[in-house]
Amino acid sequence: MWLLAAPAFASALAAGLSAQTKLLPPEEAFRLSARALDATTIEARFDVADGYYLYRDRIHFSLGPAVTLSTDLPAGTRKHDEFFGDVETYRGPVTIRVRLPGATPAGRPLVLHADSQGCADAGVCYPPNPQTLEVPVPAAGQKPGAFVEAAAPKKSWFK
Amino acid sequence: MSSGPDETPRASFPSGLSHRRLSRRSLLVGGVAVAAAALAAGAALFRQRDARAREGAAVLAMVLPDVDGRDTALAQWRGKVLVVNFWATWCAPCREEMPQFVAVQTRDGAKGVQFVGIAVDQVDKVKDFVKEIRLNYPVLIGGFGAIELSKALGNDLAALPFTIVLGRTGEVAHTQLGQLKAAQLDSLLKTLLA
Repeated sequence: MWLLAAPAFASALAAGLSAQTKLLPPEEAFRLSARALDATTIEARFDVADGYYLYRDRIHFSLGPAVTLSTDLPAGTRKHDEFFGDVETYRGPVTIRVRLPGATPAGRPLVLHADSQGCADAGVCYPPNPQTLEVPVPAAGQKPGAFVEAAAPKKSWFK
Repeated sequence: MSSGPDETPRASFPSGLSHRRLSRRSLLVGGVAVAAAALAAGAALFRQRDARAREGAAVLAMVLPDVDGRDTALAQWRGKVLVVNFWATWCAPCREEMPQFVAVQTRDGAKGVQFVGIAVDQVDKVKDFVKEIRLNYPVLIGGFGAIELSKALGNDLAALPFTIVLGRTGEVAHTQLGQLKAAQLDSLLKTLLA
């Protein structure tokens, strides 16, 4: 019986896997960069790939686990969700102002933690995606710093 | 093709061996090769079957807390056609397919189908949703180990929904990233319950 069944199982498994191989890893689907505008403001930017979307209310920035930062999240596209009510999503590029609690001394990069969560139109969602950026802070009166990309992701979101 | 099967041996055995003998020898070699290929194919099938059994055993070895914190062993459903669905409330495609699982659990439960949800989520949110859709099968809370297992079964990105279907003998019969369509689930269960 298994001789007949095994190839059928193999193709069924392959069907599941091929759907997956087309998926971008989250750090490519939701490319994150940031720059310091001044000593108290960070401008973060998600470039959401075509066919993917981020949930507005699942984006958080912090300095380490203890210090959650306030953000100016632009309005997203409103979508009705049966369980959560109205939710807003972002597609394409989205720019977010992140406020630092106090002036950051220039010279040392600021370690910014970002958490985000999104889905693919293909019908799957990614687990929450923690990312870290080292953002250089300009000295007072200087021009905004350059955009930096998020560092390579941690191996697992549980670690 | 200058060094065909007849020429190479002739060069190696310039005297004594007849052409016919050489042909027979090459036939023999060919026969051995075919048999070896058949064995290798058989071995590959065995290995594949082994892998499915090992993966299934890893699924059945999981012990996870339910929404009230009680440890629950998946091994208790050994012998059932077990549908293990990884989901979360923050995953809309997951929530969309679950009412269908509730219906199939009602329809096929007595025939030996058992659904189990593994929620990659916060317990309070899970409890709310379970109540809302009147879930009629157990939901367990999946932590790091459950996610790693789903990755080992081909879901590298730990994306959701992800569903593993085990046959009655505990082998992995199907894994699905993304929603399991009703027709697909039905034909899978029909085969596995037969």
